[in-house]
Parts: sequence; structure tokens; C-alpha cells
Amino acid sequence: EFCSSLAGIMLLEVFLVLGTLLIYFLFSKKKEETLPFKDGWWGRGQKPVTKEDSSVRPFKVETTEEELSDLFRRLDQARFTEPLESSCFHYGTNSVHLRKVVSYWKNQFNWKKQAEVLNKYPQFKTKIQGIDIHFVHVKPPRLPEGQAAKPLLMVHGWPGSFYEFYKIIPLLTDPASHGLGDEHIFEVICPSIPGYGFSEAPHKKDFNSVSAASVFYELMLRLGFNEFYTQGGDWGWLICTNLAQIAPNHVKGLHLNMVLVSKLGLTHLLSILLGWYFPGLFGFQDEDVRRMFPFLKKGLYRILSESGYAHIQATKPDTVGCGLNDSPVGLAAYILEKFSSWTDMEFQNLEDGGLEKKFSLDDLLTNIMIYWVSGCIVPSMRFYKENLQKGIGTQKHEKLTVQVPTGIASFPNEILHTPQAWAKKKYTNIVSFHFMPRGGHFAAFEEPELLAKDILQFVDKVEKEQLWKKK
Amino acid sequence: QTILCLPRSFEYSQKHAVLVPVAALGAGGVLLCWLKSGRRIKIIDMGDGWWGSGERTHKGKEDLSIRPFKIETSDEEIEDLHQRLDRFRFTPHVEGAAFHYGFNSTYLRKVVAYWRNQFDWRKQVEVLNKYPHFHTTIEGINIHFIHVKPSSVPHGRAVRPLLLVHGWPGSFYEFYKIIPLLTEPAKHGLNEGDVVFEVICPSIPGYGFSEAPHKKGFDSIATARIFHKLMSRLGFREYYVQGGDWGSRITTNMAQMLPQCVKGLHVNLVFIARQSLGSLIRTMLGAYVPWLVGFTREDARRYYPFMQKNVYDLLRESGYLHIQATKPDTAGCGLNDSPVGLAAYILEKFSTWTDKSFLHKDDGGLESKYSLDELLTNVMIYWVTASIVPSMRYYKENFSKDPDLSAHNRVGVYVPTGIAAFPQEIAHVPRVRAKDFYRNIITYTYMPRGGHFAAFEEPKLLAEDIIQFVQKVEQL
Repeated sequence: EFCSSLAGIMLLEVFLVLGTLLIYFLFSKKKEETLPFKDGWWGRGQKPVTKEDSSVRPFKVETTEEELSDLFRRLDQARFTEPLESSCFHYGTNSVHLRKVVSYWKNQFNWKKQAEVLNKYPQFKTKIQGIDIHFVHVKPPRLPEGQAAKPLLMVHGWPGSFYEFYKIIPLLTDPASHGLGDEHIFEVICPSIPGYGFSEAPHKKDFNSVSAASVFYELMLRLGFNEFYTQGGDWGWLICTNLAQIAPNHVKGLHLNMVLVSKLGLTHLLSILLGWYFPGLFGFQDEDVRRMFPFLKKGLYRILSESGYAHIQATKPDTVGCGLNDSPVGLAAYILEKFSSWTDMEFQNLEDGGLEKKFSLDDLLTNIMIYWVSGCIVPSMRFYKENLQKGIGTQKHEKLTVQVPTGIASFPNEILHTPQAWAKKKYTNIVSFHFMPRGGHFAAFEEPELLAKDILQFVDKVEKEQLWKKK
Repeated sequence: QTILCLPRSFEYSQKHAVLVPVAALGAGGVLLCWLKSGRRIKIIDMGDGWWGSGERTHKGKEDLSIRPFKIETSDEEIEDLHQRLDRFRFTPHVEGAAFHYGFNSTYLRKVVAYWRNQFDWRKQVEVLNKYPHFHTTIEGINIHFIHVKPSSVPHGRAVRPLLLVHGWPGSFYEFYKIIPLLTEPAKHGLNEGDVVFEVICPSIPGYGFSEAPHKKGFDSIATARIFHKLMSRLGFREYYVQGGDWGSRITTNMAQMLPQCVKGLHVNLVFIARQSLGSLIRTMLGAYVPWLVGFTREDARRYYPFMQKNVYDLLRESGYLHIQATKPDTAGCGLNDSPVGLAAYILEKFSTWTDKSFLHKDDGGLESKYSLDELLTNVMIYWVTASIVPSMRYYKENFSKDPDLSAHNRVGVYVPTGIAAFPQEIAHVPRVRAKDFYRNIITYTYMPRGGHFAAFEEPKLLAEDIIQFVQKVEQL
């Protein structure tokens, strides 16, 4: 009797363990399958039967007198609302400071000159899946004997544009001239997300990050690249991640300056509640704790206070963008607010929003002008709806992991901090994870040198590992 | 008493020796509770405030005059509007969008064409001026209101003062169709009854022709206090109050602040009360056994499926609330500069909040319940007064401190209350849930049709409900 009850207990234990393992594998292990390529056709009306024109045509940003005088008239007739006393940037963009920006815009900003700045890098357009895709393609000015340029796809976000990369491009295509060593030299491709800047906006519903990743994948193949690196932040983070999930054999390495986790489980909740007291238990480093806690202030309240724009853009983009495509001042206020708080949350306490601490007005206004002259603010906002309308954490790509070698540059003033402990659940092959000493959300725009250095050391690691594997 | 009894109690049996002190304790306890409850604060503190610009000047008393006021327009104003309408930059919508992405831009073009070519602002200004307007300064800012008295009072009838408060993105203009039904019900085929009103419709400070506060912190409590001061200045000691949207919260605060002045409170929207464990259980059970938790069949029909109607729908419709409660100056900036942007933003609400199924229509069903003239007149009020940004700031001032209205929920409302529950309101609150907060509900009516903008859309239904509510209160 004793033996049988013991055997019974042991059997029960075995079943329990097996059962747990089974449940664990069924429910918690993220699948390692690839994300399917999302084909689509985003042009107007019906897809034509004839084959699509796949030529790559050069493109230059142009401006006209009409465009400028229309802009000036709108700036002249702008109707401002006086801010509340001592409100700084707590209620949004302060209109007293906005007036100063508008005055600079009218009197000193030179759009013709800035268009020439934009045109200093070669730009192109090509039709993919029914829409015209705009991109910048910069090749290295010189290559040492026997070395090939490594293709690097860099993807912007909202409310940014391809222009954000203009300061970092030379550091990557010509690192030697900037004191960065010439072991790795890149040719850089910066496309505009469809619906942003000079890329045509999709005419059909459902154009989400997987669609953008598929379009960019086709772009890279069309340009003749079989293997390439990708880099991104904001929407660029998600699009490059999706690209690595769609075509892991083509993406040599994925570098990100922002990571968001969308699948939050019990471990995340526990680490939020207890992480301050037992950081080691949850894999948190000191810097993680410093950036994440107190969690209410740096996590929950920040999400609530800063995500109003995402909420309305994910639900009513055509409404909220309507006035912004008609009022350049409104557009500027809306976009500049992000360049203030997402660079440093403390800037909200400043009367000028700290805007010119890290950026020049010329740079900020050039980015805004890209939205204005292309009339793309509404389609840019629709991207939020197409990605978020079904809810966060519900889409297939959010449930899949990334096996491609990943490098993460974690900037201190990013809106939300994601510790490596959380990131590695999704990015299973993190090759480098560094806490950057300074900088916020618009990393390439604000700290091009820091970002370039991190990209270079990441690529270095990936290349060396590959060589080692080949041996 | 207990102590005095003790020396004698040892003479009685043990049972009595226990019962008497226990009973005395019990009575004492009840007495204590009753005394405490009487002294428990059931009102909100009135407080005080000053919202003018700069420093408050202490010399001289505040100007208490009530100044008549007429809305005016000019050629310049109209010309400027036309120019902006002419140079509106339109963005094509995706195919099959209807109103799912927000205001449909193809339909918007039609609205703009009407606005530019047929809408007559001068004529609408005359319409607005048909009721007498006034300004008066309270707490440092100019308060705008209309004050409509019945043109003839039937013999022997008392005229009840009624304060109607609008919300966002509405205005005093929403009440223009219901006012005659309340000041002269008999003339409009409404039940005679004993009830006739003189109506006061103020504009919330920051909205329309009321000056916007210059200081931070102007919330519904401050509004409630200012409106009490307004009624007092007009010579009323007791009055009825009615409201929807912000008007509901403001009039509710008024009833919590000075219950002795508010004879009756009528609302067509109940601000969603905080979820407690009890109400959560009630919600979960109510899906299966509504009668057990006090839900009527109509409640169940309007309230469930719960996730869809109370969570997803609200999330889908509350983007504006989220951005206005956090970055109003950013959200409103472009809208004060682009009249078409302003119209799209405001009219989207008149579509979706009137009937949720309008989302599927290419024209948002706007003209099925309203005329373009009416809708644009309301938009023009925001445009000519440039009040969109201050109107949005109201969300931040109210939600930043009190995200779940918790302090005021604890206070409760004891004034006789009437609730008109419209079927297409954004969210439905069953009577049994409303009772947690409105402790003295006299009437609760399931209206047969209508949405959020009740007075604008179904003036007769709302007027009838107000009148029957007031009649009941008068008989109390």
C-alpha cells in the first residue's frame, strides 16, 4: 500500500511536470516562424493588368513662388490664442513662443535654400505595389581598395522624415573623414514611409507596418541588395523589426534606437511592482532602475500625458489632420511640441519648450515644411489607425520573435525606457545593448555622432561573428 | 444613563443586566451615527476665485452691472472667413472610409461649398439676436448669457427660473429650439400643466461670448460657483438647473454646492461614475440576470454587450478627450486658424454622438437630424469668438486633478433629480447605477430616440421630460 501510494505520488508529480512543460511550450514560448510577406496594391481604383513600371527615377525637391507666397499669406493671417499665465509648455505648444517661431519662419527661414540642402543627397522615386516610393540613396564618396560598401536601410518615424538622417549620413558613408575609422563604410538608403513626405499615400485601407516593411523589402531587392542592415526608431523601429521578421536571411543586422514591448505579461507586472526593490531578480541594471522608477511618474503618467496624440490619430486621423493641412502654424505647433517633450520631458517647464537647445530652427522648420509642401499630415496620421485600431498586442507580428542579430541604443530621454530584460524576450539575439549618455527620441537628428558610433560598433560585432561562424 | 442604571441593575436578573446596557449602547450608537450623519458634509465647498488677467486690483468693488449685448459681425470678418474657405487644402480619404477615419473629406467639400456660397452669417446673427443677450462681470471675467422670459404669462401661473447649461462642442445656441417650448409650452402643443419657465442660458467661461479665464485651474466647480453668483445677481434664490455634457457636470456640482438654491436638477447625460467592486459584479451578473441586479430590459439592451459598448466604443470615441485633457493648446492651435479644420473637428461629434451607426455613412448622417445652417451657426460661434483653445483647456482643468471625479462622487447629490436617458447617448447609465450618486432620483425616463445633443436634436422630447419632472418636484 505504501509503495503504491508512493508510486502514485511520483506518477502525479511526473504528470504535473509534463503538464506544466506542455502548457509552457504551448502558451508562453513565442513562435520562431517568419512573418509572411504582405503583398498588396495601394494605388487608386483597380489594379491594372499591365505590369507595373519598376523604373527608378531621379527626384529633386522643388519649390515655386506660388507655394511660398501662399505659405506667407497663411503665416501672416495666423490667429493665435493667448496662453494661460505661467503655463510654459504644460498645456501644449506655448503660443507666445510659437509667434517667435512663426516670425523667424516668415522673415529668416529660406525654403529655397533648404530645398537645396535637401537636394544635396540624390533622391529617387520608384513604384512599388501601386504607389510611388521616395527615397534618398547615398553612396560613399570613396572606398578603400577591396572593400565593399555595406547597404544600410534607415527608416524614420512620426513626426519625422528622411531629413532626420541628413547629419548622420556622412558619418556612415564617410566615417574616416569624421574620425570614426574606415573598417565599415555604408551606402545609405532612407525611404519615406508611404503617406509621409514625398512617398505617395496609400489609397486603400490597411496599410500598416508590415505593409511598409514589405514595400521596403521590395525596394531593397529592386536596388540589387541581397543582404543589408536596417536601422530605425519610432515607426522605423517597428518597420525594421517587421522586415527582420519577414526576411531574416536578408537582414544582416537590425539596429534600433527605440524599443517598445507590446505584449505585457505577469512577469512585466511583477517587475514593475517589485523591480525597484529587487532589480537583480528581474534582470534590471542600475541604469534601468534609474530610468524606469518611480514607475507611476516615469511610466504610467508619462504614457497617459503624452499619448493623447496617438489616441486621436489611431481613431480619427482624418479629423485631427484636417485643420493641420490647412494651417501651417497649427501644423508647426503640433509637430514642434513633440520635438520639445520627446527630446527632454523637462523642457515642458520652459517657456520656449527648450526647442533650440538641441535643434536649430532651420532644421525644425525644414522637417515641418516637408509635411506642409507634400500635404501628408493626414496620411501620416492614418498610419496610427492602421497599426493600432485592433488594439495593442493583438497582431501576428507582435507575437513573433526576432532572431536576426540586434543592436539597441538606449537613449536616456526616450519617452519610455525598455530594459534589456524585457527586450530580449522579443529580440532573442541581442548582440549589443548600450545606455547612451545623452539624447532623446530623435536620436539621429539630435545626437548623430553617438548613434553612428553605436551603429558602427554593432556592425563590427555582427561582421566578426559572421567571420567566426564561417570559420 | 447606563452608568446611573448600573447600581440598580444588580437587583435584576443576569439577562436584564446584559440587555439594558447593550440596548443603551445600541441606542447611543444610533444617536451618535445620526448626529454624525447630520454633520457629515454633503455639500461641496464653494470656495472662491479670480480669473482676470494680471493682478487683481483690490480697490473698488467689482462691477455688478448687467449689460445688454448684441452679437455683431462685419464685412471683414466674413471676407476673412471666405478667403480661408477658398484656400482650404483638402486631403483625399482612403477608399471606403465613410466616417471611420474621422470626418469624410469628400463630404466636407460639400459642406464647405455650402458654407461659402449659401450660408448667410448675417442672417444667422439676427437669428442669434432674437433672444436678449447680456454680459456681466463675475470673478474678474465677462460672463455671457441669454435671458428669455415668457412673453405672456397665463393668469395665476408661477414662472420658474431655469438655468440651461451647454457642453462641448456645443454652445448656448443648442437651446434655441427648446427655449420657446419651455417659456410658452401651451403655444407649442405641450401639456398645459402649471409649469412655465424663464430660461437663462449662460456660456461657460472660455466658450462663445463668455471671456476665457486667464488663470490656470478653472474647472466645473468654479463654473458652478460663477453660475450660482449669476442667478443670485439676477435676483433668483431658488431655481431649476438642466444640462448635458459639461452642463450635466456643472449643474450637478451646483446642486452639490448649494442644494438649498437648486429646486431640481435635470440631466440628459450621467457622467460615468467610478467602478467599484460592487458595480463591477453588478455589471458582470447583469449580462445574464439583469433583473437580479436591478437592470431593466431596456437597460440590458442599451448596456450590453459590455465590452463593445462601454469599453471599445468609448476608446474609439475618446481620442479628442485624451488630447484635450493633456495638450489643449496644441490640439486647438490649427483649429483656430483653419475654419474648415474647426468644422471637421466639431461636426464629427455631431455625427457620431447623434447616432453611432452614422459612422458607416459617407456623409456621416449629419443632415438627417440637423440643418447645415444650424450646424454651421454653432461652428461660427467658436470661430468668431476664437474660443476653441480655451474650450479645450476645460478638459485639462477638469481631468488633471480629478480623473475619476472621486471627491465629488463621495459627496453625492441629494437634490431632486430627473434623468432623461437617450438611446444614442455615448454611454448608457442604468438607473440603479445612477442611484449610487444621485440619491434622490424623482424621474428616470428612457427616451424613445435621440443622442447626445438632446436639446438640439429632440427639443420637444426633452422639454416634455423637463416639464413632467418639474411638475413632480412641485408636488413634493
